[in-house]
Amino acid sequence: MRTDIVKTYKDVHSWVGIIAGLALFVAFYAGAITMFAEPLNRWASGPTRIAAPPSLDHTPELIDKVLRARPDARAAYTVHFDTGPDQPARLSWTTGTRRAPGPTFLAAQTPDGVLQVVRQDPSPVSELVDVLHQQVGLPFSRAVAMPIMGVISLLYAVAIISGIICLLPSLTKDLFALRFGKNVKRMWLDLHNLLGLFSLPFHIIMAITAVIFAFHDQIYDVQGAVNQVGTATVRRRPPPPPGPPRPPAYDAVRDTLSPVDVQRRIAVQAPGFALRSITYRYDAKQGAHGDITGVDPRYGMRAPTYGRAEIDTRTGAMTEANYMPGRQGPWFAAVTSFFTLHFGSFGGAPVRWSYFLLGLAGAFMFYSGNLLWIESRRRKERKAGAVTQSRATRILASLTVGVPLGCIAGISLTIAAAKWLPVGRADLAAWHSAIYYLVFVAAVIWALLRGAARSGSALLWAAAGATTAIPLTTILSPVLAHGWSHPGASRLVDLVAVVGAAGFATMARAARRRAMAGPRDSVWADPSLATT
Amino acid sequence: MSRPLLTSRDWFGKVSAAAVLGFTLTLALTCTFATLVSTDADVFSAQRQLAMWLASPIWCAILGLCFLFRSSARAWAWLALANLLAWAIYAAARLVLG
Repeated sequence: MRTDIVKTYKDVHSWVGIIAGLALFVAFYAGAITMFAEPLNRWASGPTRIAAPPSLDHTPELIDKVLRARPDARAAYTVHFDTGPDQPARLSWTTGTRRAPGPTFLAAQTPDGVLQVVRQDPSPVSELVDVLHQQVGLPFSRAVAMPIMGVISLLYAVAIISGIICLLPSLTKDLFALRFGKNVKRMWLDLHNLLGLFSLPFHIIMAITAVIFAFHDQIYDVQGAVNQVGTATVRRRPPPPPGPPRPPAYDAVRDTLSPVDVQRRIAVQAPGFALRSITYRYDAKQGAHGDITGVDPRYGMRAPTYGRAEIDTRTGAMTEANYMPGRQGPWFAAVTSFFTLHFGSFGGAPVRWSYFLLGLAGAFMFYSGNLLWIESRRRKERKAGAVTQSRATRILASLTVGVPLGCIAGISLTIAAAKWLPVGRADLAAWHSAIYYLVFVAAVIWALLRGAARSGSALLWAAAGATTAIPLTTILSPVLAHGWSHPGASRLVDLVAVVGAAGFATMARAARRRAMAGPRDSVWADPSLATT
Repeated sequence: MSRPLLTSRDWFGKVSAAAVLGFTLTLALTCTFATLVSTDADVFSAQRQLAMWLASPIWCAILGLCFLFRSSARAWAWLALANLLAWAIYAAARLVLG
């Protein structure tokens, strides 16, 4: 390939990388964690006062009691097949309208048959991590953050294309070379290239889908406008009347199939589809109908953790299967593939773990990209005769340390706080958000004030400490009589946190070594620690 | 006479061409696709959803490859020409298929 093309794309790659890299780090690190949003939710959900859920066979009794006593549940209520700390009740319903949802209520029966209804207070912490992921860590409203995320995704796509073009000429020579030696920059570059090339399909998927997640409304709008040119104007549907509609009468919503019967009919129609929930709905126009969600790891799923279909709740027949794993037509399967490849919602646990690791590897790749940029600036500046680093390089080095480590420590600490903050507070989400941003901003300011070298190992220790707080909170909960410790998949959260904390501690020691013994003119050198 | 070497200096002209004309080109191509494969007028049919998704890879490819144009002026000129062609195909598709 012509060297001027490679040179041009090297420039492009380093500039889009440096603009988008830190935001992408946050998106990838938080995104890797969202792979396990469900275990995290379980980990963070406090015990409730509600009675144990009835067996599926006894659920119709509970349904009938709720429908008689609670008109607000009649239009739509959900039966959950899997219950646990994060979904403690067999039956739930959400009030309000779809656009303005009200509180969600959970229903159970006490041993002597009395109906018990409590308001659900889900832990907002995994939701916060998901929002950080979607908005690349920006603390703005969705309307502001999403277009910025979209531009960053476009830069990310340009970074992928330019990165491939830069790598092509030396591909066969450098592919499996990992030169761990005196030349530190060479090693980082080899690592950056190796990660980039081998997770290329993953990155292409993420860039393409993220652009759409940011801009789908706008693209639909302009495509719709083009499609409208030269056709008769369609009349817009009148907006639905404000407020929730009047609840249906009890007689209209009774006599639907029991959850066990629906399960039996679905098992015949879609073998291999494990039901997770049935939502029984009723409206005057459609009568009794409903939808089911469930899992089939043999196929891709449209939502991050489930696929869905619509059913007739009186016969159990599937009435619409456009988003049902394995039952979609080719066009819907093609559209679903974009979602499922982004969410990693296919193939079950092995794919989830792979996505988790690919996400962390991606975050590390953006970090290494920034390091390479700083390192090349150092060489250029030294060639030009400068002895000390320029201010821009020092600031960028500080941000390269402060932003990722602030993000890591902030997420860890706000997760750990789920077991400390009082359960059931209305402003819990604001608390979690405040803890995250406080840690994040403090880390960035600390890095800017102290410089990359001095803050690097300290912030890595902080990240290790914050991450240790997650399992520590769980272990100490019986002793402190505060917090809780759930069995099952929730243990996984503690285990991963232990491994993560050990990793950060190892890096903290390595960073300190480098600050003491590395090249003196590097941004990573700390003169006060130098031994020579 | 040898071709002038490619540089990253006039990036702004190339990127703006790819952002603006690249997007309208993407729009023409995806709308043509939607017209050719749609079976009904449903705005959110699977075909129209796929047409919306296809906008991303096409626009990303144009943005990534626009630096290969020898100058900003050429970027704007070539993309304008491609637009004319793509919109003509779209208009033809609409006329033929109604």
